[in-house]
Amino acid sequence: MLSHLFKLIWNKKKQNFLLLMEMFVSFLVMFAVFTLLVYYYKNFKVPHGFQYENVWAVNYNDAVKPDRLDSVALYMQTVRQTLLGVDGVQDITFTSANIPFSFTQNNNFVSYNKNKVLANVYEAEDNYASLFNLSVISGRWFDKTDIAGQTNTIVINNRLKESLFGNDEAIGKTILAGDEKLRVIGVSNDMKIDGDYQPTENGFFRKLDTAGLKYNSTILVKIRPGIDASFEPKLFKVLNNVIRNANIEIEHFTKKRERKNTLSLVPMILLSVVGGFLIINVALGLFGVLWYNINKRRCEIGLRRAVGASGSAISWQLIGEALVLSTLAIILGSFFAVQFPLLNVFDLPAGVYLTAIALAIAFIYGLVMICALYPGKQAAAIYPAVALHEE
Amino acid sequence: MLPTQMQETSATNRLQKKSTPMISLKNIEKVYRTDTVETQALNNLNLNIGKGEFLSIMGPSGCGKSTLLNIMGLLDVPTSGEVRIDDNTTTNFPDKQLAAFRNRKIGFIFQSYHLINDLKVLDNVELPLLYRKSTGKERSILAAQALEKVGLSNRMKHFPTQLSGGQKQRVAIARAIVGQPEIILADEPTGNLDSNMGNEIMDILLQLNRNDGTTIVMVTHDEQMARKTHRLVRLFDGSQVL
Repeated sequence: MLSHLFKLIWNKKKQNFLLLMEMFVSFLVMFAVFTLLVYYYKNFKVPHGFQYENVWAVNYNDAVKPDRLDSVALYMQTVRQTLLGVDGVQDITFTSANIPFSFTQNNNFVSYNKNKVLANVYEAEDNYASLFNLSVISGRWFDKTDIAGQTNTIVINNRLKESLFGNDEAIGKTILAGDEKLRVIGVSNDMKIDGDYQPTENGFFRKLDTAGLKYNSTILVKIRPGIDASFEPKLFKVLNNVIRNANIEIEHFTKKRERKNTLSLVPMILLSVVGGFLIINVALGLFGVLWYNINKRRCEIGLRRAVGASGSAISWQLIGEALVLSTLAIILGSFFAVQFPLLNVFDLPAGVYLTAIALAIAFIYGLVMICALYPGKQAAAIYPAVALHEE
Repeated sequence: MLPTQMQETSATNRLQKKSTPMISLKNIEKVYRTDTVETQALNNLNLNIGKGEFLSIMGPSGCGKSTLLNIMGLLDVPTSGEVRIDDNTTTNFPDKQLAAFRNRKIGFIFQSYHLINDLKVLDNVELPLLYRKSTGKERSILAAQALEKVGLSNRMKHFPTQLSGGQKQRVAIARAIVGQPEIILADEPTGNLDSNMGNEIMDILLQLNRNDGTTIVMVTHDEQMARKTHRLVRLFDGSQVL
């Protein structure tokens, strides 16, 4: 019967071409939608790697700081002590502006032997890891001894470690960032800094020194558990007193994360809406074409019934024809879809593409089945004695 | 071709030996109902058709010939009465069993051929075999044999649109006989053909009846064709008149 269906479809290739193309385009759109969905879902399942719930970010601009570096250090120390003295503040740390869930980026190419990758650069103090509960997998985080060394010390994240060193030991190795030599003293957990749906990125931490403090404009404040948003005005007042002439903004990391997630979801929502409309069109088109085919083929259906086809055989034949047609569209679509993992387009893992292909195949078959079921049932109900006398 | 009188005599002798009817219709009534109109298509019809008999049915348009043929072919059900085919009461057969029974027992020939234009001649002939257990190779062999019987071996790879009316009807006959059914129901098989072509088709049907013992019921408007068969049944207003 399968070869019979292929013959029927092949001999009616002109009539079936448009429908085939419609299924083919639908497959590609669904492949795109599912690729994004699978990619987001895989990222979503990865833990954040740090705790941000009780952390607030303070951004201050245009602060008047002393010119001399030692005076800057003293000034920042005053800020630190003042904030730590506020009841409700558990810890604070100064850091670069590219904090988690922010829209600021600072990156640089780093290399080890022949491996060269792009990595985010974060400036952090000794208590940054403890403030975020960021785990150090091997080696150590920064301490006071790191100032004295000739080579700048860095802590790299696990992803950068795998990119540069693979399974080899990274601690003690020196990598290059441009001409600058950086010695790895620790490997930290990956931080999912761009929200729930984005992947972790290569990154390393370098110690925020006094020169860095001069241009610092971000403070992370960890507040004690149980403190709510009503604490914000009090903190703002303290900050306004200690950092004079500055524009101060306090943001909660939970809110920052939500904003980042919303932004990540925009392309997925857009693609889903476009895909949804297309699928509705395809479903209606498919349904209409199958319905039209049945009306056009009433004599043929009557004849098949006369020569021994049962009602269910007729129904399954029509569903089978639609499925064979969709199989051809899927084969064609899969040929193009498979190029994505083969050519490593968009640098996504092959598993994402392959899962998306499988889901798109299942979706198209499901859609075709649903659209063909009712017309198939109607075809089965055609009365052969009547159909055979129609012209 | 044998003269009609001789054929009738030899067929009658053969029929006398056969006691069990192949098709038996008892008190058949068929009423078509709409909201406002009730049409009696067949009225208390009783008919027995013996195994190997070639019966023709004649009557004016609308007298119930096609309805009768549809009921014999299990394509339609009577409003009341009993249909027995080869000693099987088919009235309560479920759809699947009815389809399988039709596939094994009955071949159909229609006035307008009803060939599938998107399939080649060979594939058209194979059609009844698709609905029974057979391999593609078996189907091809049987279809080729059937086409050879009707003298169309050289047209297997053609599409129906490339054939003349007579050739199309021969393909339809090949399709009707490919599954070696015991009954062939022909609804005005020569109705669309000129007299030469019609005679050719009639010869093939007579040969099938004579050589293979196939029971044939043919609806026709052509008195000459009808006279070539063993028995003629005339219908008028849904009842048998002769």
